[in-house]
Amino acid sequence: MNPLNVIPTIDPNPLPAPYWVFKVLLVVTFFLHIVAMNFLLGGGVLALVARWGSRKPDLGNRMFLDLARKLPVLVPATVTLGIAPLLFLQVLYGQFFYTSSIVMAWPWFLVLVMLTIAYYGFYYASFRSGRQIGRAGAVMVLSVLLILLIGFLFSNNLTLSQSPSRWAGKYFADTAGWNLNLTEPTLIPRFLHFFLAAVAVGGLFLVFLAQARWTADNAYARQLLRFGGKAFMYATMAQVVVGIILLASLPRALRMLFMGDNTAASILFVIGVLGAIGAIFLMSDALRKENVRMAALYVPAVLAVVIACMSIMRDILRDAYLKPFFHPAQFAIHTQWSVLPLFLLLFLGGVILWFVMLKRYGLLTGKRAAT
Amino acid sequence: MAMNYPVWDVTFGAGLLMAMVAILHVFVSHFAVGGGLFLVITERRARRNNDVALLGWLKAHTRFFVLVTVVFGAISGVGIWFTIGLIAPTATSNLIHAYVWGWAIEWVFFFVEITAALLYYYGWEKLEARLHEWYGWVYFIAAFASMVIINGIITFMLTSGTWTKNHQFWKGFFNPTCFPSLAFRFAVALALAGIYALITASLQKDALLKGRLVRWSVCWIAPSLAVLPALGWWYIHKIPPEVWADVRGPMPTATHFALFAVVLLAVTFTLTLLALVKPGRMPLALSLLVALVALGAMGSFEFVREAIRKPYVIANYLYANSLYSDTTPGDGGFSVDEVNTAGIVHSAKWIANRDLTKKDQAAVGREIFRLECESCHTTDAYRGVKHYLALRQWDRTKIQAMLSVLGLMHNGAMPPFAGTDAESRALAAFLSTLHPVSATATAAASDGQTVFDQNCSMCHRISPGDTLFTKLPKDPNAASKALTDLPSLFPAMPDLKLPDRQRLALVSWVNTQRKARGFGISAKGAN
Ligand code: HEC
Ligand code: HEC
Repeated sequence: MNPLNVIPTIDPNPLPAPYWVFKVLLVVTFFLHIVAMNFLLGGGVLALVARWGSRKPDLGNRMFLDLARKLPVLVPATVTLGIAPLLFLQVLYGQFFYTSSIVMAWPWFLVLVMLTIAYYGFYYASFRSGRQIGRAGAVMVLSVLLILLIGFLFSNNLTLSQSPSRWAGKYFADTAGWNLNLTEPTLIPRFLHFFLAAVAVGGLFLVFLAQARWTADNAYARQLLRFGGKAFMYATMAQVVVGIILLASLPRALRMLFMGDNTAASILFVIGVLGAIGAIFLMSDALRKENVRMAALYVPAVLAVVIACMSIMRDILRDAYLKPFFHPAQFAIHTQWSVLPLFLLLFLGGVILWFVMLKRYGLLTGKRAAT
Repeated sequence: MAMNYPVWDVTFGAGLLMAMVAILHVFVSHFAVGGGLFLVITERRARRNNDVALLGWLKAHTRFFVLVTVVFGAISGVGIWFTIGLIAPTATSNLIHAYVWGWAIEWVFFFVEITAALLYYYGWEKLEARLHEWYGWVYFIAAFASMVIINGIITFMLTSGTWTKNHQFWKGFFNPTCFPSLAFRFAVALALAGIYALITASLQKDALLKGRLVRWSVCWIAPSLAVLPALGWWYIHKIPPEVWADVRGPMPTATHFALFAVVLLAVTFTLTLLALVKPGRMPLALSLLVALVALGAMGSFEFVREAIRKPYVIANYLYANSLYSDTTPGDGGFSVDEVNTAGIVHSAKWIANRDLTKKDQAAVGREIFRLECESCHTTDAYRGVKHYLALRQWDRTKIQAMLSVLGLMHNGAMPPFAGTDAESRALAAFLSTLHPVSATATAAASDGQTVFDQNCSMCHRISPGDTLFTKLPKDPNAASKALTDLPSLFPAMPDLKLPDRQRLALVSWVNTQRKARGFGISAKGAN
């Protein structure tokens, strides 16, 4: 079936602001969401590694408990920051996103069930982690596995939304929507790419914890720094390999975008790769010198640039996939001037209020320990 | 759903799935609003009276509050988005494009709300009293504000106001039911704050404290429930009367659930007062029962709202099956009129079987059913059409006749069938395989009541005002003759070929009803 015949027409309502406004909001909020997700998933994975992979069980358990107490807050952070890109994604790419979601409807719906279970699991583990681990470890395994599975389903859906030619075959084979996008060549490398990024950022999470405890409990903090820093380095090294595989799995024309065909994409790509490699060296240096400031400040700064580049590259890649089917010019635009300024105002107010809340709690100055 | 997007085949009913997600979510999200006010006011009270016991309970209650609202409430809220995107993509797409700034504003409030809730929760141990309460207030105000936004958009779907003409954001937002619904929901939210508090109160061991907690909770529940009827009345008066008429009988499901809502509300109220009899000894079971009955009441209310909105998802604009009620520029050819002209098999993007010339018409009919009917029906589960067909005993010819007047049944609960004659034939062919009825069986019923039930009851009701009773001639022969050609009596009626025997039985039953029930007969109709 010709994919052009099955791609839904957009609804009659015009875009209530210029295209680029939504694009910027989409990419920026996606960036924030993915960072929060990385802390959650990476923190969870490293908590498990600490619990079962550490040669010093006491230390491993302590790190596990330390992380377990933090994770419940990262779920709402990830979800809330995820709602915004989900919203803006629907504004621009609804035709593709709704359809691919329907094609894999049940797995997609079950994301909600899995997320609820995982979330309660994280809370359970955090309540149990007073001193004894007990069942908290097993529950945490379940929660982390569920989050991984959710990530895998997101990879399935988003790759499927970019492949209209596969929709009809899958849909008519099972209209109840028990489908995935497993034949997609980039699926596994793409998923691994996100997974490793999460582990790396999870490592940074430990580095932040180390920094917060540096004076109060220096011995423990140094262990945290070592563990987190190494996790970051190993994950990022593996990332370089997976990144190459991912690039190789792209269709040739799309691959070439990052290798000269598209200047912006190629520059971002180079910055991204050099940034990642640079971050590894920085971290290794910081570990050798036991310089927590360097590990907790410079490495994240470099990494933020890398993630920002990757987020933009991801968007360029999406538009390249959809090029035959999607043209920004298809949208009629009628800016809602009676609402847009109100949103901007409230958004600004919301951000300020948010910082005031954190500040009054003492989270910005570090006077009170983060919970 | 429609032809523009694929339709998710949910065996037990897409509508049922949506209802389950939505009802669980509202039961928690209203608590999230009312419960916020409950927390800050209770905290103030406890601190003013130096009430350590109350404060201790409130701390534990906050944890319960967070686990219910921040976890389940937030995820089920996202759940609504996931689910409507899967079940009603066209409606979602319209709502997103028309109201994205509303949703974005709501998201800002939501973000503030979640942060404040968590800091309030973790802050019990860390913050001094005033500051702690400040987080509580920030939480409540943000939660209320997000309710204002969502309420505006949900009520827009029921009473779209002048939006359908001018497509202006605020015109749709401040629609006729916006304020009554907001007041109604806020009262519900306050009641739920007390209802959930009863649960944690009933877990207290200290009878004295428990007694105080129960009484305090009832102070939230009883007055809020008591004002609901008045607010409901205001709400109902802003709904167009012809829409509200659904619950007066013509739409059985809506009618039943409206009754449930009222009865369960009264039961909730009574049970709450019952808790006051021995407040110090209130068992957990009673508090759970109150919550369960309240869930039933709230679920029924939401069900009625969704039911009377039918056939629309967005009133006077978009039908539940994703067809636009009027042809609009940019609708992609998916309005009823356009589909009537072009035909489904030509308009639909997501149809596997387009060949109407083949022998197997039912296969195409199956697809048409999925495209046009499955947003509200299944074949044999939720609103199962098989069940209706068994009840009515329609053969294939009669099904087809009825398809042409679908939009009139049950006070217009359904969109009209859109498509060509050949397509309606194919759909009838499919439907007749669900519950096969022969032409002799469809003409078998011999008592008037059954003839009425099988042929007229989806549009006419046994009531003094119904035109069937007011206009049908009294004289049996004249009446029977008139009924040979229903469309000539009223053009929108189905062309049913009832045999003489059935017509006469029907007429005589009608006359018995008139006598037995004392239905008046208008001067013009009766002779
Ligand atoms: C907007 C939702 C909606 C859509 C779309 C819809 N229906 Fe219905 N239908 C209803 C409701 C609601 C009722 C029953 C009212 C009640 O019981 O309260 C109903 C009842 C029926 C009945 C039973 C009538 C009777 O009382 O005997 C049949 C038959 C039926 N629908 C067939 C169809 C067919 C065929 C289609 C597709 C062409 C369709 N419906 C589309 C909502 C819908
Ligand atoms: C699809 C819906 C539908 C069905 C089925 C239906 N009717 Fe009607 N009927 C209508 C409508 C609509 C009117 C006009 C209502 C009005 O004016 O209030 C009407 C009007 C009438 C009238 C008054 C006509 C006049 O003189 O104005 C009679 C008599 C009547 N119907 C009898 C019947 C009988 C008998 C049956 C069953 C055999 C039947 N109808 C089945 C929809 C239906």
